[in-house]
Amino acid sequence: MMKKRSRLNVIKDIIEAIQKNRHIKPTRLLYASNLSPQMFKEYVNELITKKFIMLEIDEKEKKTFSLTKKGQEFLQEYKVLENFVENFGL
Amino acid sequence: MYDWIIANKELCKVFYLLTVAVICTIIVLKADRLFRISLHPGIRYFRNAFFFYGIAFITRYFLGANFLSAYVNFNPYLINSLFEFFLIMAGFSLFYSLLWKKFESSKMAFSSLFNFKIIIFYFMAFMIVILDNLWGTYAFMFFSQIILFSCASVISYINYKKNGAQHKFLGFYFIAMLLNLFAWSLNALVALYFNWNKIMLMNVYVLNIIIFLLFLVGVIKVTKVK
Repeated sequence: MMKKRSRLNVIKDIIEAIQKNRHIKPTRLLYASNLSPQMFKEYVNELITKKFIMLEIDEKEKKTFSLTKKGQEFLQEYKVLENFVENFGL
Repeated sequence: MYDWIIANKELCKVFYLLTVAVICTIIVLKADRLFRISLHPGIRYFRNAFFFYGIAFITRYFLGANFLSAYVNFNPYLINSLFEFFLIMAGFSLFYSLLWKKFESSKMAFSSLFNFKIIIFYFMAFMIVILDNLWGTYAFMFFSQIILFSCASVISYINYKKNGAQHKFLGFYFIAMLLNLFAWSLNALVALYFNWNKIMLMNVYVLNIIIFLLFLVGVIKVTKVK
């Protein structure tokens, strides 16, 4: 059985998926995040509110997510954090 | 050199306090920044441990310093009891930072200083202080910390064996825990069998500074952005 991801891990996975694709459609991001649609909505709304990601809508009404500077900084911080937790065995 | 240190005892105490206080402040600030991003309980308890160490040393070496007694006179029993209490709480917090996963989910308690599990630690620390005061000894504190750091050494060794290949620092952390165990054992020997022999005690202080520096180096190294 797969280990349950922590909240922070889910956020990292969402942000990382956006970083890899630069502009990613909501459906693709939902698949990449491996969350239920309800949970996905909650996480994405939180990340938009915290200005980690942006929702862009083009002239054809196509929606894509992209990463903000704050989101990029979070990924950097996350690596430090992961390093800290794993190296101290916390 | 020992004679010089004994002659300048007060100055050395200030140096000792400042060194430990600065190290604890840096560790608390760095860990707190990471905690605020992640809300990770392990980081929270690790941060609390150094917060308690800092408070303990400030209580003992600042409030209890001779130069301060000209202005304010704190009861030495109270200062020693507070020092002991915070020191024990620091040990508990450091130990619990390695163990929290067994008792808590990553969903955190509202406060890491006032929650049910931590209240048990407060109660135990309080009882140890009371027992030491009743018996007029520090033996209960020493034995509690020796047991605690023996367990912490075993846990950090298991962590090292499990993930040491990917995370080399786990080995370093295991050594830091062993040194802590050694420092507490030596401190117990000096206090209980060598009647607080000053020269031996100085070695304990030096060892304590080395341990705090090891933690500081570890935290700085691990939190360095590549």
